[in-house]
Amino acid sequence: MKSYEFLEHTADIGIRVKAKSLEGLFTAVALAMFDIACRKSKPATKKKPILVKLSSADLPELFVNWLNELLSLSATRQLIFSDFKIKKLNNTTLEAAVSGADTKNYKMKTEIKAATYHQLRIEEDESGWIAEVIFDV
Amino acid sequence: MSEIWQGPIEKIDDYRWRIPKSYKPGMRVDGIIYADEKLLKDIRHDKAAEQVANVAFLPGIVKASLAMPDIHWGYGFPIGGVAATDVENGGVVSPGGVGFDINCGVRMLKTNLEFEDIKDKIKDLTCALFSDIPSGVGSKGEIKLSAREGKDILIKGAKWAVEKGLGSADDLECTEENGAISGADPDAVSERAYLRGKAQSGTLGSGNHFVEVQVIDQLYDRQACDSLGLFLGQITLMIHSGSRGLGYQICEDYSRDMVHCLSKYNINVPDRQLASAPVNSPEGKAYLGAMRCAANYAWANRQCLMHLARRAFERVLKMSWQKMGMFLIYDVAHNIAKIEKHIVDGKEKTLCVHRKGATRAFGPGHPEVAERYRKIGQPVIIPGDMGRNSYLLTGTKKAEEETFGSACHGAGRVKSRMAATRSINADMLLKELESKGIMVKASGRGTIVEEAPQAYKDVNDVVDVVAGAGIAKRVCRSRPVGVIKG
Repeated sequence: MKSYEFLEHTADIGIRVKAKSLEGLFTAVALAMFDIACRKSKPATKKKPILVKLSSADLPELFVNWLNELLSLSATRQLIFSDFKIKKLNNTTLEAAVSGADTKNYKMKTEIKAATYHQLRIEEDESGWIAEVIFDV
Repeated sequence: MSEIWQGPIEKIDDYRWRIPKSYKPGMRVDGIIYADEKLLKDIRHDKAAEQVANVAFLPGIVKASLAMPDIHWGYGFPIGGVAATDVENGGVVSPGGVGFDINCGVRMLKTNLEFEDIKDKIKDLTCALFSDIPSGVGSKGEIKLSAREGKDILIKGAKWAVEKGLGSADDLECTEENGAISGADPDAVSERAYLRGKAQSGTLGSGNHFVEVQVIDQLYDRQACDSLGLFLGQITLMIHSGSRGLGYQICEDYSRDMVHCLSKYNINVPDRQLASAPVNSPEGKAYLGAMRCAANYAWANRQCLMHLARRAFERVLKMSWQKMGMFLIYDVAHNIAKIEKHIVDGKEKTLCVHRKGATRAFGPGHPEVAERYRKIGQPVIIPGDMGRNSYLLTGTKKAEEETFGSACHGAGRVKSRMAATRSINADMLLKELESKGIMVKASGRGTIVEEAPQAYKDVNDVVDVVAGAGIAKRVCRSRPVGVIKG
């Protein structure tokens, strides 16, 4: 998987992702984040999906909260997520079922502490959606 | 980075540069960057200076938004930033002004070992440290906590570890805040934050965190060296780590809340990552209570790491750590917000001092400095990159007057991880370091490249500035011989 590009940042890691739809964008950025964090080292069975429900004041906040929610769930449940079923998504609310496999099936590459608001960009243009986000690593 | 920052920077003197508050409407104070001409060129190469200006928007900020010479581009605050807000006059606290790794910090130990006597053992010592200290992404420690202990550690900090036999009371005296800042409120810590930090006590983490075996190669202040028991050719150790997942989650929990405080308290900042709340508001108080828990957890963590390092030395050199004189010189936090008293415009004020990639540097006689260091000033530990040097300095009265008693925290990155990965070959780098007598053990090859000396400013240049500006005084310098990276 490599449907994202890196942006230059002195201390941290920035990425740009593009997708046709907003749902696609939320999925692509989540996949990119876990792709930066780790690499699968052996075949793994996915655990039961977890339901994620978020509400935020606006889209940028929802976007950052989505990523941080996934990082937090990943760290506390010891799971690497690879499957994201977005059930409901608008500018302020999100419902998704996310599933993944145990971290022991992955080789960890980079510890991502959090997604940040710094220079966050999330926009729609004629070709679809584009987002840029900087992760604290 | 191709884009050069074009904002206004006026020279005050050889070590101080001003971004005038007229640069952007909304700046409440000037920005002041501590740097020389050479470092300033690097600083203009990313967006750190813009971030210094952005921090100047914080309500209640006094004097100036300050940046140390190791400043580089962060998120929200620059890394190397210092900002103090007036608690009694609407001053705010910002989780972004502390960062995700709350109380990331560094401790330095001395030994009575001389490099010449143990140089054949450096390889064994480095391997023993690497095998005994859990490191790398998501590493887990063997130090397990029960539910009750979980709360205990958040209040007692390093003392919790000492009570478990992982160190001595002497260690606590040589730790900022004696290893436990008061006002920690475990009830302000979410269950998820607690879960995220669980099983990570006594783990190094990854990225720029490290344990280094070093040798003192320069003495600058003989009197201070004598009083600290430091000499040329002496083996010392440095440990750099933080509050691990617990700190990340606390920062995330409160950043999420405080984004809403921007409208609630009518706070105007140009970057949501500067989300903040008045120190005296319920949100501000809760954040500080939780942040202090993470700070205490980090002090406990570094205490555990030091215990593991002492044990590794004991195993290789077959002597007790006491016999090897492995005593703590000091432990400093460099990502923290603290309520301190400082003189502003001739009046004593209660300030919330954010040090984001900056070290407290109180001068001689300051009551907060441990009794044993009150004559020389608080030890200030400045690690460099793994190929050059690290420094021990002491704080000064001038720092108290100018920078709220703060100095730099390290070398500061100059090259992105991406750029380092593109241009540096791990095998060649390891060979080069080996030829300089530096052995490196790392959990991941990626870390070696990302943390290459070329990715950092020269710490010697950074320390020249803080010493030249008089905000810290050089004591001694060391060079690495054994490096453990996460």
